[in-house]
Amino acid sequence: MASLPPGRRAAVGLLGAAALLPLVVRDAFVLDSLILILMWGALSAAWNVAGGYAGQVSLGHAAFFGIGAYATALTTARFQQSPWLGMVLGVALSVAAGGVIGYLSNRLRGPYFALSTIAFSQVLLIATSRWRGFTAGSEGIPVPFRPGLATLGLGHVAWVYMALVVAALYYAVQVWLERSRLGYQLAGVREDEDAAEALGIASRRLKIYAITLSAAMTSVGGTLWAQYVGFVDPFYVFSIDLSIRFALNTIIGGIGTALGPFLGSMLITSLETYLRATFSGVKTGFAGIYLVIYGTALVLVVRFAPEGLIGLAARFAAAWRVRADA
Amino acid sequence: MDPARRLGRAQIDVFAQLGVSTILLGGIYALIAVGLTLIFGIMRVVNFAHGEFLMLGMYAAFWAFHLWGLDPYVVLFVSIPLFFGIGFLTYVLVMRGVIHASHNVQIFTTVGLSIALQNVALVLWTGDFRTVRPWHSSVVIRVLGTAFNLSQVVAFAIALALTLILFAFMKWTHTGRVMRATAQDHDAATLMGIDTDRVYRVTFAIGIACVGAAGALVSPLYAVYPTAGLQFVLLAYVVVVLGGLGDMVGAMLGSLIVAAVEVVGSYVFGVAWKEVFYFALFIAVLVFRPAGLFGQRGAETLGV
Repeated sequence: MASLPPGRRAAVGLLGAAALLPLVVRDAFVLDSLILILMWGALSAAWNVAGGYAGQVSLGHAAFFGIGAYATALTTARFQQSPWLGMVLGVALSVAAGGVIGYLSNRLRGPYFALSTIAFSQVLLIATSRWRGFTAGSEGIPVPFRPGLATLGLGHVAWVYMALVVAALYYAVQVWLERSRLGYQLAGVREDEDAAEALGIASRRLKIYAITLSAAMTSVGGTLWAQYVGFVDPFYVFSIDLSIRFALNTIIGGIGTALGPFLGSMLITSLETYLRATFSGVKTGFAGIYLVIYGTALVLVVRFAPEGLIGLAARFAAAWRVRADA
Repeated sequence: MDPARRLGRAQIDVFAQLGVSTILLGGIYALIAVGLTLIFGIMRVVNFAHGEFLMLGMYAAFWAFHLWGLDPYVVLFVSIPLFFGIGFLTYVLVMRGVIHASHNVQIFTTVGLSIALQNVALVLWTGDFRTVRPWHSSVVIRVLGTAFNLSQVVAFAIALALTLILFAFMKWTHTGRVMRATAQDHDAATLMGIDTDRVYRVTFAIGIACVGAAGALVSPLYAVYPTAGLQFVLLAYVVVVLGGLGDMVGAMLGSLIVAAVEVVGSYVFGVAWKEVFYFALFIAVLVFRPAGLFGQRGAETLGV
C-alpha cells in the first residue's frame, strides 16, 4: 500500500469508502447519490480513454451512451429478452459506430473532430426521435423492472456494488492504458501526431482503437444507467449536454489521469444533487442555477487550472513538501 | 404542406416557391454563419457559444416587443451596438486569456460559456416558449405563384444588407485590412506593428454583433427559449464547414446550400427529417472535403 503512488492510494481509499458506505448508511437519497457519482465517474472515465489519453476530444459521446441505453430498453421492453443481451448488443453497435466515426473523422483535428462527433450524435438523436414505429419516438421507452440480477432489477445497495464494480474496472482500464505500449503510443499521437507518425506509429489506426474502446465502455454505462433509471428518452440520452457532462467531469477532475474523472464526478454530481434538492421548490427553472455554476466552473478551470483537481492537489502537495523540507 | 401543392397549381410554382424559400432562408443563415466564420478565420477559435448569443438577441427583441411594443426591426438599431459591446466584454473577460491556449482549452471555454448563458436565460426567464408577433409577421405576399411572409422578406433584406456591409468593411476599410492581415499571418502582422489584441477584440465584437442582429431578425419567425440557439448554431457549423472555416464568401454559398437542402428535403420527405439531410451533408463534407467545398485542402489536418 505504501509503495503505491498517491493517486492510486487515493483511488483505493475512495473506492473502499464507497464499498463500505452502504453497510453504514441505508438512506435511499445518499445511496442514490453514490450510485450516480460512480456511474457518471465511470462514464467520464470512458470518455477520458478517447478524450484524455488519445487526445480525441469528442462532444458526441452521448451517441454511444444512447445506443447502450436504447439497446437494453428495446431488448427488454420490445423483445422481452435479458438486459445483459441488450448490453452485449449495445456494445456491438457502439463498437461499430465508434469504428465508423473513428475511421471517418480521424484525419480531423481540434475543433473539426469535435464538430463531427456532435453531428454523429445529432443524427442518432433525430433518427431515434423520429422512427416512431421501432423506438417509440420522442415519447421514450419505459424499461420494465423485473427483480433479480439476471434482469438487472436491483435494489439500491446492489446497484451501489454494481456501479462500484464498473467504476473499479474502468479505473483499471485507465491504469492499464497508462502503462501499456498502446497507452504510450496514444500519448505520443496526442502530443505530436506528426512526430509520432515519423517514428512509425500508425496513428490513425490507434485513434480508431481508442475511440472504439471508449465507445464500448460508454455503451455499457448507458445500459446500466437505463436499467437503473428505468426510462429512456431520446432528447436526454443523445443530448449534447450529456456529451459535455462526460467531458466536464473529466476536465474538472483532471484530464488524462485515471482518478480525475471520478473526482470530477464526485464534485459535480454532489453539487448538482445538493443544489437541485435545495432550489427545486423555490421557483421553476431556478434548478438551472447549478448549470450556471457548472458552466462558469468549466471556464475558470480550463483557464486557471487546466490540469484540474488532480493538478491542484499535486501543486499543493509540492508546495507543502517544500515547506516541510525548509 | 406547401400552399402551391394544395392548390394544385402547375409544377413551376412549386419550384419557384422552393427557390424563393431557399434564398430567404439562406440569407438569414448567412448572417448567423458569417459571424462564426469571421471569429474562426481571424482568431482560430470555434465559438461553441455562438448560438447562445443568438438566443440572447432573440430575447432582447422579445422583451422590447413585450414590454414596450417595439418592433424587432427598431430593436435592431439598439441590438447591434449592444451586442458589439457584449462581444467586446466577452472577449476581454473570457476569451483573451485563452486565445493562445490549446484547442481543448478554447473548445471548453466556449462550451462552458454556452452552458452558463443558456442557464442564466433559464433561471431569469424560465423555459417557456415565447413568441414575438408584430403586425408584419401575419402579412402574406403573393408573387408569381409563390407566397411568403413579410417578416421573412424583411429579415432577408436586412440580413443581406448587413452581410454586404461587413464584406465592404473587411475589404475597403483600414481596420478590415488589418483584420485580414492578422488572419493571414498573426506573427507577421505583429511585426508590422498591428496590435493583434485589439484586432481580436474588434473581431469578436463584430461577430457577436452579427449574431445579435440575426437574433432580432429571426425573432418574429421562430419561438424563443433558452436553448433556441442550438438548432441554429448546429446549422451554422454545417454552413461554415461547407464553406471552409474562416471563408466568408464560402459561408454565403454554404448558407444557400444548407437552405436548399433543408427546403427541398422538407418538401420531399417531410419537415420531421430535414435535419438529417444537412447532418448527412455535413458528415459527407467532413469526410470527403474537410477543408470545405471551396477551402484549401489540408486545412483540417493542420488543426487551424
